[in-house]
Amino acid sequence: MSNMVRKASVFEILNHWSLAVSFFILTVSGFGFLYHIEGVGSIFGGFNQMKTIHNWAGVVFSVSLFFTLFSYIVEALSISGDDIAWIFKGGGYFSKKTVVPPQGKLNTGQKLYYLTVLIAGIAITATGLVIWLRPEMADIRKWILLSHLVHNISFVFMVIAIPLHIYLATLANPGTVRIMFYGTVPVEWARKRHPKWVQKIGA
Amino acid sequence: MTRKALLISPEACIGCRGCQIACKEWNQLPATKTINKGTVENPPDLNANLYNKIRYVELPSEANMVRWLFVSQRCMHCEDAGCMKICPAPGALYKTKEGAVAFNKDKCIGCKLCAAGCPFNVPRFDEKDKISKCHLCSDRITEGLSPACAKTCPTGAIQYGDRDGIISDSKKPGYEKLYGQADLGGLGVLYAFKDAPKLYGLDEKPAIPESIVFWHNVLKPLAYIGLGGAVAASLLHYVAFGPKKDEEVKKDE
Ligand code: SF4
Ligand code: SF4
Ligand code: SF4
Repeated sequence: MSNMVRKASVFEILNHWSLAVSFFILTVSGFGFLYHIEGVGSIFGGFNQMKTIHNWAGVVFSVSLFFTLFSYIVEALSISGDDIAWIFKGGGYFSKKTVVPPQGKLNTGQKLYYLTVLIAGIAITATGLVIWLRPEMADIRKWILLSHLVHNISFVFMVIAIPLHIYLATLANPGTVRIMFYGTVPVEWARKRHPKWVQKIGA
Repeated sequence: MTRKALLISPEACIGCRGCQIACKEWNQLPATKTINKGTVENPPDLNANLYNKIRYVELPSEANMVRWLFVSQRCMHCEDAGCMKICPAPGALYKTKEGAVAFNKDKCIGCKLCAAGCPFNVPRFDEKDKISKCHLCSDRITEGLSPACAKTCPTGAIQYGDRDGIISDSKKPGYEKLYGQADLGGLGVLYAFKDAPKLYGLDEKPAIPESIVFWHNVLKPLAYIGLGGAVAASLLHYVAFGPKKDEEVKKDE
């Protein structure tokens, strides 16, 4: 359709699905380990197999997370006065009357969300690898304890950030979730929510 | 069932290592190839096939050439067990009705986190990365027998019995306080030390690493509350403020 603009490439769509599915597997199995949930263990074919699946889902997650750098990091780090103003207006989420400052391809909330997931994702990957591979080194016990702690702190950030992300991309902002399937949005929709981006690409 | 315990008395031990052998025999553990490092302590450390070993400590002495301390080293069967706290696999480590911390290799997932959780550096891992350690001969004690080490000890340096009874029987001059009586909720292996525990190679105040306690008390519930809170906050927002419908989004003119 001529009145549509492409916000996500096919690669970005697939990569996002890879993140979503691996995150889901990691979280469910993670809670299984955390709370000794036998039912979750049996879904995965026992705790032994759940460990293997958890570890390899972590590999998929971290590789996909790496690829997101090419899509979002430059945009996420370009912070301007509009972003500060956006935060003070609560992103327009707390009153229908609020008019938020014009946003680029990612709005301020999306930038902050991306940076949170990126940092927590790097931390959870690095510490997960230490626990999994147990590199031969002096003081390995201290490193395992530190990794175990950081892995779980990152997990807390993840399980708070991601449900909010899902809500904001579905119920809270009708018309958004189609990006995850088609990658395109109506120009008018984009003009309202990402005017600086639409201007930049000259759509 | 009353809690059982071992009482170790280094002063009574003659270092014969009968306990090491009896343990291997009962648990069908093969011998470990080792080398002579100029000490009778052998093998030098616990391993997957050595659940119980005598540590030899040599100290300067005025009365004799040296003072030798022999200390049985093994899992302490902690009441508040760091290994169990951190273990992510249900049933891999479990408490028997006698209070022993036993293991099930089929349920163990080989993550080795218990090694980080144990204050006494006890867990070892077999060739399949499964946990191996003293289980207080859980298969013997459940039948009312004493553990192989205690059964075999010729001098009474390792005694097995009701934990309360052991504690009250041990109150002899010079041994008023047992090591492990109150630490970690009370250990299942108690030591009658004449001197400071560190002389025998044990921590004065053994404790589960603080990061694990913090994780257990704060982070674990926080993951649950955080997830639930994020979902609840989303629903609440939807009810209170509603979605940003396209026709309602205003442009900054
Ligand atoms: S190695 Fe086995 S016993 Fe130790 S923490 Fe992991 S699953 Fe539990
Ligand atoms: S001594 Fe270590 S392995 Fe034994 S019960 Fe205590 S924490 Fe667990
Ligand atoms: S069997 Fe008894 S005397 Fe011999 S080494 Fe073991 S604890 Fe000491």
